[in-house]
Amino acid sequence: MSIIKVTNLQKYFKVAKHQRGLWGSLRSLITREYEPVRAVDGISFEIQPGELIGYLGPNGAGKSTTIKILTGLLVPSGGEVLVNGYVPWRERRRYVARIGAVFGQRTTLWWDLPVIESLDLLKHIYQIPAEQYRRNLAEFRELLQLDAFLNTPVRSLSLGQRMRADICAALLHNPDLLFLDEPTIGLDVVAKERIRQFIRHINQERGTTVILTTHDLSDVAKLCRRVMIIDRGQLLFDGRLGALQHRFGGRRELVVDLADDYPHAGVDGARIAHRDGQRVTYQFEPGHITASELIGRISARYRILDLAVREPDIEATIRRIYEERLLEKTGPMLGSNGYR
Amino acid sequence: MHLFWAITQRSFQRHLTYRAATVAGLVTNLFFGLLRAAVLIALYNARPEVAGITVQEAITYTGLTQAIITYISIFGWYDLMQSVYDGDVAVDLLKPMNYFAFWLAQDVGRAVINLLLRGLTIMLIYALIFNLTWPTAPVQWLALVSALALALLVSFAWRFLVNLAAFWTPNARGIGRFAFGITWVLSGFYMPLRYFPDWFVTLCQLTPFPAMVNTVVEIYLGLLTGPALLHALLQQVLWLAILIIAGHLVLRAGLQRLVIQGG
Repeated sequence: MSIIKVTNLQKYFKVAKHQRGLWGSLRSLITREYEPVRAVDGISFEIQPGELIGYLGPNGAGKSTTIKILTGLLVPSGGEVLVNGYVPWRERRRYVARIGAVFGQRTTLWWDLPVIESLDLLKHIYQIPAEQYRRNLAEFRELLQLDAFLNTPVRSLSLGQRMRADICAALLHNPDLLFLDEPTIGLDVVAKERIRQFIRHINQERGTTVILTTHDLSDVAKLCRRVMIIDRGQLLFDGRLGALQHRFGGRRELVVDLADDYPHAGVDGARIAHRDGQRVTYQFEPGHITASELIGRISARYRILDLAVREPDIEATIRRIYEERLLEKTGPMLGSNGYR
Repeated sequence: MHLFWAITQRSFQRHLTYRAATVAGLVTNLFFGLLRAAVLIALYNARPEVAGITVQEAITYTGLTQAIITYISIFGWYDLMQSVYDGDVAVDLLKPMNYFAFWLAQDVGRAVINLLLRGLTIMLIYALIFNLTWPTAPVQWLALVSALALALLVSFAWRFLVNLAAFWTPNARGIGRFAFGITWVLSGFYMPLRYFPDWFVTLCQLTPFPAMVNTVVEIYLGLLTGPALLHALLQQVLWLAILIIAGHLVLRAGLQRLVIQGG
């Protein structure tokens, strides 16, 4: 049984058309024209319990809108959503009792009060049994290192501390499902790593299903096996990160240290991207030639001292996908990996 | 009920941290209170009473109304509206709790601390300056406490309803200013309602506003007794029920079309 089932989800917003000039502004006082904006335009997917999913997309792609619908905050214009046995926006109170959410830009904590006051309040809000609350708080205090600032007012916390406190707050009631929207935004490397470890721990030890939206692709690379990419309201990719890399990874690179200063180091099937004395960087398309073939060709002509193959990073891959709209040209790549 | 109390307590604590604001507000309320008292004394011009209110009662009235300004947020309250506009409403809706009760619990905490810190102080300072009237009979005290509590609830239910306008329009502050401006006059805060012509008072009685201020004032001054007093209290209860139901229906419609701002 899937924990989330989304079928042909749509959300349209009406946005008032802006009329140019003074005359236009006056006219729009009387007759305002609306333009429908398709924030989410027919998305379908399923998520199984215990998955840890990366949900990606450029700004304005419809990511947040999807998350808001899934958390019961927005009512969609069309389509069906069933999460954890509920239609989120229809039975909001009962539904949200079993989920947790962290919106990186907002806090659920009371600004003027010590952190612990907000956490204690959640015990009442979710009616968490005393024993469970005690155990969870003890565990999270240790894993997220909350002790140093548990009695500090939230407004005096650093961003990293506040985020850790918010993540703790989202999990005290043992939710089945956790939504994380940009949980590492604005954090330094160490703070990011600590939060990632915690997310992995919760997912693996407790089996909590996690939906992670982020712009930080290293979050995704380190945590998620499955990614979904949305752009212009449509799901463009749903599958393993590896498959995405394989298909759109772009050029791989072969860095070779040659034994001599050869005047021409060119070979068929690869182009020289960079040359620094005896060190040559070749770029090649994975579909056209394999690394071993290329190495064979080079070593047939030149003497090689050392070499290394560099895989393109996901960051560059995703950027290429957004910029060149690669997925649109090829159509959505779904169902290629046994997820559907 | 545990939850309600837990929220009220935290709201109380939170407002306790705004000490400088409390003192500044107190001084302002006091200053305008004395100003209003001076104006009324001048207008009475040695007349023993106007519309059944003596000059001593009129002065007490200015003190009492200044004392409950913050208790019932007579000048307006935009917290809920603001939370819709900056998107924090999302965080509140993600909690399995009654949205109305959540805000009410916070408002009770806010109101009680303001009544204690600002309201009582103003009445005490007034008592040092003027010869005030005080409720005497225990029944009157009991009625006063009930009327005060009901006034807060009615006022909150009204403010909640007004703030819900934020679900429909991206700038509901204008609606708020209008709505709270009306409250100011029709509640009897601006002038005791008894000063106004009968037809105006009758009109006011068709609105929930007198239940927020005028009822409290008239019970305090002992102008209402017996059946009239009971009637006034019942009217408060009736308006409370109507406003709560209206708020519930409007909220339900609003949530259907909510647009949450920000990513």
